[in-house]
Amino acid sequence: MAIIRQTDPKKWTHVDDTEYEAYCKEKGIDPEKYTTMELLAIAAARQTYDFSFIFAGTGLPMIGCMMAQHTYSPNSLIIMEAGILDPKLLEVPISVSEARGGYMCSTLSNMADTFGTFAQRGFCTFGMLGGAECDKYGNLNSTTMGGYYSKSARDDGKTGPAVRFAGSGGANPIASYADVGLALMVQEKRRFPEVNEFITSPTGSRGPLGTNKDRFHYGLFRGGSTTIVSDLCIFRSSPETGELEMSEIYPGVDPQLVKDNVSWELKTAKDFKVFEAPMHEEIKLVRMVCDPHRIYLGRKTKREIAAHQ
Amino acid sequence: MAEATIPIFMRGKDKIMSLSDAVKTFVKPGCCICPGGFSYTKKPFALAREVIRQNIGDLFVTMNGGASICEFWCGAGLVSKIDTTYIGLEGIQPVAYSVRRSIQDGTVDIEDYSNYGYGLRTVAGRYGWPFAPMMCELGTDLMEHDTFAKMGLRGKKADGSWIHPSIAPARAAVIEDPFDGWGLRPHAFEGGDNTSNQTNHLEKVRESTAYTGKKGVKVALVPPILPEVTIILAQRVGDKGTTRIEGIWGPDNEQAISAKYTIAQCEKVVSEDELRAMPTHNTISMQYIDAIVEVPYGGYPGQVPYYYDYDWDFWRAYTQVNRKEKSEVDKYLRQWVMEDEWTFLSTRPGDGYPTITGTKGIERLFELRADARFGYKPGLARPL
Repeated sequence: MAIIRQTDPKKWTHVDDTEYEAYCKEKGIDPEKYTTMELLAIAAARQTYDFSFIFAGTGLPMIGCMMAQHTYSPNSLIIMEAGILDPKLLEVPISVSEARGGYMCSTLSNMADTFGTFAQRGFCTFGMLGGAECDKYGNLNSTTMGGYYSKSARDDGKTGPAVRFAGSGGANPIASYADVGLALMVQEKRRFPEVNEFITSPTGSRGPLGTNKDRFHYGLFRGGSTTIVSDLCIFRSSPETGELEMSEIYPGVDPQLVKDNVSWELKTAKDFKVFEAPMHEEIKLVRMVCDPHRIYLGRKTKREIAAHQ
Repeated sequence: MAEATIPIFMRGKDKIMSLSDAVKTFVKPGCCICPGGFSYTKKPFALAREVIRQNIGDLFVTMNGGASICEFWCGAGLVSKIDTTYIGLEGIQPVAYSVRRSIQDGTVDIEDYSNYGYGLRTVAGRYGWPFAPMMCELGTDLMEHDTFAKMGLRGKKADGSWIHPSIAPARAAVIEDPFDGWGLRPHAFEGGDNTSNQTNHLEKVRESTAYTGKKGVKVALVPPILPEVTIILAQRVGDKGTTRIEGIWGPDNEQAISAKYTIAQCEKVVSEDELRAMPTHNTISMQYIDAIVEVPYGGYPGQVPYYYDYDWDFWRAYTQVNRKEKSEVDKYLRQWVMEDEWTFLSTRPGDGYPTITGTKGIERLFELRADARFGYKPGLARPL
């Protein structure tokens, strides 16, 4: 299928420059300098293409898919797992089920129906997710660290896992059914282990392609490639091995910093390039149209906090 | 038929009960309870608070759709087992802290499914099916971990009865699709299928020998959910139980129909005629509702689509409270719910935490009313 993208900023949603300056002044933010969360949302939107179905998880992916609709993929449709198809998002929802997320959608139903009618049935192009841990083959862990079991089911003398995360929610089925995985992650070495302790969601090949560790061997019939958007670079699955490779790097980031922040010998993709810095038009849109209250964009990474100190 | 033998689900207007009577009658210590709603939307918080007031503990909570009620119950030390998919509070707190802490410190056992896996279980429960086919979770550690099996809660006792009436003999079972993947999309129509999805690796999947040791398209079967009691919030319920849920349904219809008993908390009890004039909009038929409890604003501090919005300031403040010492969280929640729901609703909104507008009690509830054109309150201030 031919990939269509709206790359002419003049055709994107319009934001008035004077209003934008007033907004930045009110919020006390630099009109040109983007933050990490803004960069992630913009980078995620750039990975999408038009006339696609974007299945978005909770949190920053919601800003990413809103951004996609206002820019590169104006005719793409957003799916939210609680039962929502193609909403007109006027305010950012804090939950995949809340009324802000359902405004003027095509249909509104329930969770089993959403996954059935859209994902299993064949309308799930991108699966946009967040995760706590990501391994060499694009598996996300959003379940646990330091053992899984608690209390009565545990046999190592400990009371429970060291850190319990939220669990799969919709992440596993979104990763299982999407043609292309798309995960937004903050990159730290401990969050990018070679092998995850717990595989919650296989966004990519799961294991080396063509072996009995890949996703197809376990019966997943769709997907296989993933794009991981981190705050340092963009990883993509190698089409030959399935292994994540450094595919694009943000301007000003040292490739060594990326390599130091994963736990395996990171390869560089054949078509490696430098990511084009976010444009003025993109920064304006992500701020004023997608999340003017800065519910998600106002959050800072540890790296940002450290850089400001 | 004598009066005494009329089944509970056919009791008509006698289903209308007080909040405390409904909880006393249907929620028992140790029971398997399934709270409805989704994160901040249409959660039956009045019923949840009454469970805390009556101090009903050792609960086995089975749920899809976020952990806000489970967070309050875990904070008050009322939960021993959870069968669920997600224990976060979404945009407000990535992991509900009281639930997380209870799992980490060994007071609560948890069994994990994915949202679709669990959703399919509710579909199986709704239709009375023995299982539903699932094609996700395959290849993950969700399939490899089974808390209830390790606890010895699956299967039958020596006398042939189930060890636990709400725990299936297995978490999932994998089979080969007897139709060889024929029904999967994109389908092999001449010239390809008319779907958005393009990837289709059926040829590789047919060679797969995972789980069963045999070649073939893999399908996991998941058992129904069979809770003893489901609690839901519907905007309107007819006086015999016909239920209309407006806005997103979440898991409510399936979870209500799957349960032995369902309590419907509502904004308003209305005549059956009002709802039956447009029956296609009704979502649960009357016999699945066993108790009807009218509590206007009882979904506070959550959102009820077309009625009122969530109390953002409360939730922001609560995520500071729930990180305190366990005993302090417990004390806070027990004091927060007050002696009854009316005292709660007229006192607690805006009480004891910083708010943007400074409103309290009923005035604050009125302030949160939704704009019917949107279903929420546009422009509600939501500072981080």
